[in-house]
Amino acid sequence: MTTTTVADTDRTTDIAWIGALYELGQKAANGAHPQEVLQEILGHIVRGFEAESGSIALIVDGTEDQLEIAAGTDLPLGVIGSALPRGVGVYGHVVATGQPVLVNGEAAETRLPLRLQEARQRATNSAMCWPLRVAGRTIGAVAVNRAADRPRYTAEDLDRGQSLTSLLALVVANHRMHVEREGRILELSTLNATMQRMNTQLEDAQNQVVQSEKLASIGQLSAGVAHEINNPLAFVLSNFGSLEGYLTSLFGLLGAYIEADDAMAAAAPAALEPVRVLRNRVDFGFLRDDVRAIIDESREGLLRVKRIVQDLRDFSRGGSEEVWETIDLHRALDSTLNIVRNEIKYKAKIVRCYGELPEIECLPSRLSQVFLNLLVNASQAIEDSGTITIDTGADASEAWIRIEDTGCGIAPENLGHLFEPFFTTKLVGQGTGLGLAVSNSIVRKHGGRIDVESELGRGTRFTVRLPLTQPQIEPLCEVTQPAQAGQRAA
Amino acid sequence: MATVVIVDDEPNVLNALRRMFLNGAIPPALSDLTVVTFSSPVQALEYVAGHRVELVLSDYRMPEVDGAALLTRVRELQPDAARMIMSAYTDLDGIIRAINQAGIFRFVSKPWSDPDLKAAIRDVLAHRDLLIENRRLADELRWQRGVITEQQLELQRLERESPGITRVRWAEDGGVLLQD
Repeated sequence: MTTTTVADTDRTTDIAWIGALYELGQKAANGAHPQEVLQEILGHIVRGFEAESGSIALIVDGTEDQLEIAAGTDLPLGVIGSALPRGVGVYGHVVATGQPVLVNGEAAETRLPLRLQEARQRATNSAMCWPLRVAGRTIGAVAVNRAADRPRYTAEDLDRGQSLTSLLALVVANHRMHVEREGRILELSTLNATMQRMNTQLEDAQNQVVQSEKLASIGQLSAGVAHEINNPLAFVLSNFGSLEGYLTSLFGLLGAYIEADDAMAAAAPAALEPVRVLRNRVDFGFLRDDVRAIIDESREGLLRVKRIVQDLRDFSRGGSEEVWETIDLHRALDSTLNIVRNEIKYKAKIVRCYGELPEIECLPSRLSQVFLNLLVNASQAIEDSGTITIDTGADASEAWIRIEDTGCGIAPENLGHLFEPFFTTKLVGQGTGLGLAVSNSIVRKHGGRIDVESELGRGTRFTVRLPLTQPQIEPLCEVTQPAQAGQRAA
Repeated sequence: MATVVIVDDEPNVLNALRRMFLNGAIPPALSDLTVVTFSSPVQALEYVAGHRVELVLSDYRMPEVDGAALLTRVRELQPDAARMIMSAYTDLDGIIRAINQAGIFRFVSKPWSDPDLKAAIRDVLAHRDLLIENRRLADELRWQRGVITEQQLELQRLERESPGITRVRWAEDGGVLLQD
């Protein structure tokens, strides 16, 4: 009989064929793309049963009997993933009963969602459909079809397929578990990442609170220190002026004596002798010149102390009183430079290329804060030594201040984040990621903007642009001043 | 001959200021000044209650009485005495109080610059003279027009010369209260 011949050569009994199927299953368990693996397995089965076509339908997760086409050979595009009508057709029957079905003759149609014409072309003579069962639960079904001109399947074929499809069911179930596990892992790691991010933000916020507390106490402290230093400084400076006056008088007197020297020598040589000895010993000429130098140098030192204390006090006052003033920005820049000079001078040379700047209307202490931030950033970007250049200039409507460093530069992907609060590339503890955010909000409050240009390894240039006058004197309220915003709302 | 009273709890500041006033080498020269210094505000007030002074220059932060309170009291004792405050501490509330209550003429921050401070004192004294001269002329005018009597005019002259003399307070037993 011809059927026996077919059965004898049936590859489903072939060890190699079974081995290959097993390998495909392993592939699925190892996480290969599910669609592709199912398609390969189906192809393998179709070849094994010498069928023309075949399909796999799986029950959609979370439903009882909603089937979905998971794989198919010779199926038109778009059919995979489409749902089958519930409870009808061969698939519906097999899933409902959990029993395999052998269909021979005209009814052999698995009710695939095909257009009428396609269905006619695919008119099947013989088909087998097995349920895919895992642990007593049906998870789907697989079907193979033979064309009308081919020998029909027999009950034996159906039985042989039964054991093979249970292997397939296991493969599918394994794969599903794998996907699920992957999903869980992904979900967990996403959750973990979110938690880590929130944690970092929390830490940053905490640092910021600590930082602002610190700033507040630095402010109080420096105001107190300024007072303590200013009192002694006041009388030392004033005494110094008096001392200078006294010395001028004294040297004037001595000069008069020296001019009278010859006359005195003639009148009373014996009395003048010890005076001359003393005069030679103390080197009067040197003394006179050096006293002048000492006075000048010491006064310069005192004035420097005075200026530093003044700057410290100006800075500590920042923010407490928001007063719009019309000032010379160069003075604000210089006084900020005085504060940071010590931090910068060992790393960078400061080049000032001040242009013509009209006086502009601004919040001086807040702008000083912006300059301070930019200068400190510039200095931190420089690793060993470099140059910080400060240019200024103005046109009819706005003034600009450019602070350029020859430091490490900013990576292009970071440029867009520079002004985001908490964004920092500095090590933990070195930066809160707020400096530029705060600077930006201050400049925006002035109706201006900050532009950045940077090249990795070459340096960065920040340009602060400020309008010369403010449209309104009242400060625009922003998030940084919740108290003021509240008052305005009230 | 003007009398300037300086009050600061730090004796070194007082010495420095006294030197500055006397040192003619620092312009502008202030001639004809008598400088009286106190490191205790209470003693300074005792002095002001008994002597005519043209200017009181006080530190702001002092133990016992702060500068604003001291100058407020000085204003009550001698309304014509010019008042100046100097401070190393710029505390806005303090300055506001000094201006509103003590009616100070100038606020000077420490450390001061000698020439600036001297110029400020000269200006303040000149301003004070001008105010007093204005009032004297206005009073004379009022007297000529018969708005005030000669007696009132004399009283005001006396008050200018010896502050407080026209406001002598009598005790229950008939004694004169010199201070309060």
